[in-house]
Amino acid sequence: MYRIALQMLFGDRGKYLGIIVGIAMASIIIIQQPSILLTMLSHTYSLITDISLPDIWVMDPKVRTSEDSRALLDTQLYRVRGIEGVEWAVPLYKGSLTVRLGNGELERAVMLGLDDATLIGGPGIMVEGNLADLRMPDAVIVDEAGARGRLARHMGRPGEPGIPLRVGDTLEINEKRATVVGIAKATPTFQSQPILYTTYSKAKNYASSERKLLSFILAKAKPGLAPEAVARRIATATDLAAYTADEFKSRSLDFMLHNSAMLMNFGFVVLVGFVVGTAVTGQIFYNFTLDNLRYFGVFKAMGATDRMLLGMILLQALLAGLMGFGLGSGVTAAFAASTWKGNEMKLEVGLPLLCASGLAVLLIVLAAAFFSARKVLRLEPAEVFKS
Amino acid sequence: METSATTPVVVCRGLTKTYGVGDTATKALRGVDLDVRPGELLMLVGPSGCGKTTLISVIAGILNQDQGSCALFGQDLALLSPRERVRFRGRHIGFVFQAFNLVPCLTTLENIAVPLLINGVKRDEALRRAARHLDQVGLGDRLGTTPGQLSGGQQQRVAIARALVHDPGLVVCDEPTSALDHATGARVMSALKSLAVRDNRALVIVTHDSRIFPYADRIAHMDDGVIQETRLKPETDAPSCD
Repeated sequence: MYRIALQMLFGDRGKYLGIIVGIAMASIIIIQQPSILLTMLSHTYSLITDISLPDIWVMDPKVRTSEDSRALLDTQLYRVRGIEGVEWAVPLYKGSLTVRLGNGELERAVMLGLDDATLIGGPGIMVEGNLADLRMPDAVIVDEAGARGRLARHMGRPGEPGIPLRVGDTLEINEKRATVVGIAKATPTFQSQPILYTTYSKAKNYASSERKLLSFILAKAKPGLAPEAVARRIATATDLAAYTADEFKSRSLDFMLHNSAMLMNFGFVVLVGFVVGTAVTGQIFYNFTLDNLRYFGVFKAMGATDRMLLGMILLQALLAGLMGFGLGSGVTAAFAASTWKGNEMKLEVGLPLLCASGLAVLLIVLAAAFFSARKVLRLEPAEVFKS
Repeated sequence: METSATTPVVVCRGLTKTYGVGDTATKALRGVDLDVRPGELLMLVGPSGCGKTTLISVIAGILNQDQGSCALFGQDLALLSPRERVRFRGRHIGFVFQAFNLVPCLTTLENIAVPLLINGVKRDEALRRAARHLDQVGLGDRLGTTPGQLSGGQQQRVAIARALVHDPGLVVCDEPTSALDHATGARVMSALKSLAVRDNRALVIVTHDSRIFPYADRIAHMDDGVIQETRLKPETDAPSCD
């Protein structure tokens, strides 16, 4: 009988396609919107993700996210280095500077000044050039997205694609010359600004108008010591804030979630997708069941049990749901893959998100099946004699 | 279920059924007594609203009576649980409907196999037995056709094959010829009479169509919820379908 249930489903092509498209549309919204939200939220702590070597971040207590930076006195670095349990500590400058492009246009970019000796905090993956080349005069490394995007040279008419920055190209940062010595992969920042890497000492030159440059102190706990405990020790000894990388990520994320309407807005769209998906799919599936009600009645009269009929309806709903979800997640994955070329907003559709959205789609089809099954189970088999 | 030639297939006593309550209550059955014997083709006739369809619904176990008893093959249906009654129906009763009620997306063969599949027969075996019955109703060459490709008469013959495929002891038919022209109706009745009537099986047909009365062994006239009279086989022979 289950095969017959599927034949009935496939036999009504119009409604079958309608159900699948309805579920696919709902799936697209339910997968894509959280995917965008999660990607954006992950950008709020992209700096922490990309700088993976240190396990403790020390900063001004008023700093709320990794996007936020308040300068510390350089002497704080030496205090941190002197605290028991700290293996090493290096400075990191993070600031926003103005870059003049070849065609005279100005762009804001994030500059990261790395410890001159160790270059800790530098990009993990170099596309062109070497990280050590940062020690050359005026050297900067540009992130790939920035090199292809906002910092690309636009020599032609507006709207035409620019020529990506390459090793050897020069820029003007705060009216000072900078030479590109490398292109690196980096997770985009929340504001998707280009990222320029240089050494801490050269950053002082580029950001000469700023009196204090030390944004963060990156530290490593000695082997065998818990980074959390060392972070508490630093905080107590220096009156600065010190967090492990995970704690700082959570803090950045919490700040974004509590101080922006992102979660509410995206959540609302997902809710609308869920409700509309349920309404559309439920309506079409209900109509499909109504169209076949007389046959369900005939089956009932002929001895089909309620359990058998329920199984048939559930099978129809679940199969349509699976097809629709497959189509929707496929389209979303294709869309996400298309964003990977641009580098600025790489959408990722992870397994947990797919599982969660699959669960939402399951709820949609179960709701659709529930209303349809209720109608069938309440049907008096004697109705079959009514022509 | 075994029945002897003398044990009635259906025994109804004092059946009553009322639809609605209060001022809107309609008494469809007002104390019906009826026996149907094995090998018998009984026709229930009477004006619209006299309770014919209600009576075959109770007999077929798809509607509960308010009072009285109805036993099929000696089994009082009221004593069965709902689940047992559904199973009983699936094994012992075949249905033929006025509107054929063939599932349009299934082939004739699959439509006929439905009662067997409901009873848990394996698909291959069900289709094999369905093919034999399709052949018996003269449509052996239409195995893979869907109901939409068949005429009304052919569809009703498929429905007859579906009603008989699981070898039920009772076949109930609701206006089986009312949607057909005279010649087609005669062919359908011939098929029904020749294939369905067996020593151990009874047929109960509800009809308005006086042209098929000659096929009956007995005709029960209903009016106002009771059987007014029961006549034996009409004197005229069944018309030829040729």
